[in-house]
Amino acid sequence: MKIRLIINAITHEVEVEERTLLADLLRDQLGLTGTHLGCDTSQCGCCTVHLDGEAVKSCTMLAVQAAGCSVLTIEGLAQAHADTRSGFESIDSSRERSSLASEEAGQALEVHPVQAAFAACHALQCGFCTPGMIMASADLLRRHPDPSDEQILEGLAGNLCRCTGYVNIVKAVKQAAAQMQTLAAARSGQ
Amino acid sequence: MNAPTTMRLPQSADFRFPAAIEPARQEDLRLVTGTGRYAADWIYPGMLHAFVIRSQVAHARISKTDFSAVREAPGVVAVLTASDVAEAGFGSLPNAVTNKARDGSPQKQVLMPVLATDRVLFAGQPIAMVIASTARAAQDAAELALVDLEALPAVAHVGDALAPGAPQLHPDVPGNLSLRFEAGDAEAVEKAFAVARFVSKLRVESQRLIPSPMEPRAVVAIHDPGSQKTRLHAPNQGMVGMLNYLVAITKWPAESIEVLAQDVGGSFGIRSGAFSEHVLVMLAARKLGKPVRWVGSRSEVFLSDFHGRALALSGAIAMDEQGRFLAIRFDDEVDLGAYNCYFSTHIGTRNLSITMGGVYKVPALAMRSDLVFTNTVPISAYRGAGRPDIAYAIERLVDHAAHEHGFDPVALRRLNFIDREAFPYTTANGTVYDSGDFEQVLDRALELADYSGFRARQQASAAQGKLRGIGLAFYLEASGPGGAPKDQVEGSFSADGYMTVYAVTGASGQGHETSFAQIIESELGWPAARVRYRAGDPAHHLIGNSTGGSRTLYGAGSAIKAMCAAWIEKLKPEAAQRLGLSTDDISFVNGGFHKTSSLSKALPSDPAAAASLSVETLIDALIAEGRAGELGVIGEATSGSTFPNGCHCAEVEIDPDTGMTALLHYIAVDDLGKVISPQLVQGQVHGGVVQGWGQAFCEHAIYDRGSAQLLSGSYMDYAMPRAGCLSSIRNDTINVPTRLNLLGSKGVGESGCSGSLPALANAVIDALRPLGVSSMDMPFTAAKVWAAIRQSDHGA
Repeated sequence: MKIRLIINAITHEVEVEERTLLADLLRDQLGLTGTHLGCDTSQCGCCTVHLDGEAVKSCTMLAVQAAGCSVLTIEGLAQAHADTRSGFESIDSSRERSSLASEEAGQALEVHPVQAAFAACHALQCGFCTPGMIMASADLLRRHPDPSDEQILEGLAGNLCRCTGYVNIVKAVKQAAAQMQTLAAARSGQ
Repeated sequence: MNAPTTMRLPQSADFRFPAAIEPARQEDLRLVTGTGRYAADWIYPGMLHAFVIRSQVAHARISKTDFSAVREAPGVVAVLTASDVAEAGFGSLPNAVTNKARDGSPQKQVLMPVLATDRVLFAGQPIAMVIASTARAAQDAAELALVDLEALPAVAHVGDALAPGAPQLHPDVPGNLSLRFEAGDAEAVEKAFAVARFVSKLRVESQRLIPSPMEPRAVVAIHDPGSQKTRLHAPNQGMVGMLNYLVAITKWPAESIEVLAQDVGGSFGIRSGAFSEHVLVMLAARKLGKPVRWVGSRSEVFLSDFHGRALALSGAIAMDEQGRFLAIRFDDEVDLGAYNCYFSTHIGTRNLSITMGGVYKVPALAMRSDLVFTNTVPISAYRGAGRPDIAYAIERLVDHAAHEHGFDPVALRRLNFIDREAFPYTTANGTVYDSGDFEQVLDRALELADYSGFRARQQASAAQGKLRGIGLAFYLEASGPGGAPKDQVEGSFSADGYMTVYAVTGASGQGHETSFAQIIESELGWPAARVRYRAGDPAHHLIGNSTGGSRTLYGAGSAIKAMCAAWIEKLKPEAAQRLGLSTDDISFVNGGFHKTSSLSKALPSDPAAAASLSVETLIDALIAEGRAGELGVIGEATSGSTFPNGCHCAEVEIDPDTGMTALLHYIAVDDLGKVISPQLVQGQVHGGVVQGWGQAFCEHAIYDRGSAQLLSGSYMDYAMPRAGCLSSIRNDTINVPTRLNLLGSKGVGESGCSGSLPALANAVIDALRPLGVSSMDMPFTAAKVWAAIRQSDHGA
């Protein structure tokens, strides 16, 4: 069947089987392979994306369930951050785009503070869990801009990492929270 | 499945970090932006998709198969069966390392067939591969396969496999015993036990684990009829090693196969060998003339990725009146799984025996290992591959002996350390440890752990009704000797101003691109940011080892150091000419060539002084002159095993009402020789310690004893460490350099597992000791600990 949905601020009309998972649509039909599949029981969180602004496991929902929704994947996170900084309220702005802003401007796009903090804190090694970890972290920081340790652990409870030992991931979430609060303060002061 | 749309997909170059951020690694930009590329991310137009039909029972005769309905199902293009594999002339999966019995008789080896022929030996064993237009079509069609299996009695555990009258797995292996390996001097050990004042015995199990790199195994093959080359995208630890295994199985010429991997989502040992799916998609791609992809689901890789550990070690230690160690003996039961695959023999023989005395002077050592077949997934290397297991067995035994006979566990260790003056030290079974300073390592660990303050903290916990324990443990391991005769790297410069380094060893999270660039910056003065690292480029035929055995940093790293030295020699005449001096009058110091006579004793007082020329300036000039092509060099080095060692200390608190263990403090002090990147070393320690935590507290691949079915077959049933399992790890390094390689480094990849298993276990037992508990096998789940407390004298 044909569905229409917004992915990373671009509207797509795609033909999917009723049983196609959102993750398979993103990866195999649209080539957005930054969303990873790490398990088949909703335990690992590698496939985490945002659906209308909230983190979901894209292996655990059907593509048809996302019809009419706005999906944000790891590939679109930096753009969403740029939109937020330039005044768009929601990071899942439904503003339509036909291309990446970096393409329009011809220059590289600054990554989201969570992406930057993961790199700065050595919160990734093999990187396979990282897109899901980052999308889950961005969502937990939306819900808890100044998170307690418990809130961070709760927010990451659905994501597995085999390489890092998690200590640096928790550190990165804290660093990103601080950075995002600084940015928010700067925006509200303008 | 549709082909990808023509929407432009982002590349890592579309992104940048904020100016204020310094990323830990060169790899990070692509990996945090979703623009890395793992095996399943190679999506080719017209690609076909494979699904593997597997045995649902653990031991059976295959009486009949019929795939005709599968072949007629919608979307199906082909079904590969054992007869296709035979027709292609494929061999079996290799046993990479074999060993001999004491009398010199060879190991009884049974290799795993690519597809089962007349029998299946474990649940999950591949029987056929369905290839269809979509993955779902292949999976749907597989349901139509008729595979008639006559079930046979199965054995899931070594003890059952060795029991008299046990079902026989392989006709040529009586008693299911593949090898009885012996090392050391059993007679000397027996004599020492006869005169010992104190003897202690302890049997420990290092339970079977599911290695679980986060990237499920996936392979994509594409055949080019023009060049007659088949390219395989597969997660691996080194392209050359993988290529050799593929050649061994397929018998195809090596030059007709290309192995490519950009990003690998974790390996931990199980990505070094080629699996059935690798060669089946290659065969399918050749037969069908189309790209073929197989992506394992997590459930499938639970049943088909090799498993790890699965060892039981019965230790005995003899001591004199003062507590001096006289002898140590181990009797090991080594579960091979259903076949000899890749590294299981290495784990059960060499890697257990070579350092079986740990960090101690032990005059007599002996080991016996029985390597046994069971109806389970074959075992191969998993982070440490025997090293954490033997460290666990030694350090549990020493702790046990100390408490059993009234010695202080720290003082007993100190008494028996190999003295720092004794290096190089030859152990009783002939291993030569080149360097170490265990006193210094111990002192630093005790200091960081505030060990002397523990009893007060224990009393404070007791006042709250909690059981607090401290566990200290050493490890000393022999890193991988390397299978290749040497490690080579090739360096070149290109017109865009970058150095490219080609090497064999491929990363799976270790940060090769970063560490090797750092070595180049420090040895040559060429900026790390202008180095590209390329592993396994098929156009560059290099000799070298795969990533593994904690040896990559010093193995390939030593070759990189040699490459830098070659560049210095090559550039010297150019530098001399530009400085107007003879080559005899200039020296290379700190990234530049200088007039030797202008150098002060150690360093040039003014690096910008005349008669100086930095390597960067010189190479930039040569590139600008169009001479980049003249600058290629090869660096190579031969590096064997080193002996990383360390002391880890864990402090835990158990809630007796729930059996839950909280890990309060964790200290890791490691002697890794020269450290290149402290941040990446810390990352390796963190990851290794938490993998150890997983084994100590939650992970366990459980087979049903009767049916040999894997009961913990998904992440619903197999517990993995999650965020918060420990809140901090304090680590430090003691850097006793080694002369065993050019770099002076010892390697770090496996130390976290080796140190943490015994430290965590000793801490848990220490907490429970007041209740009369002196041993318990991992994992220390809340249920197991709670039951032990209930059953103890005090808990009743």
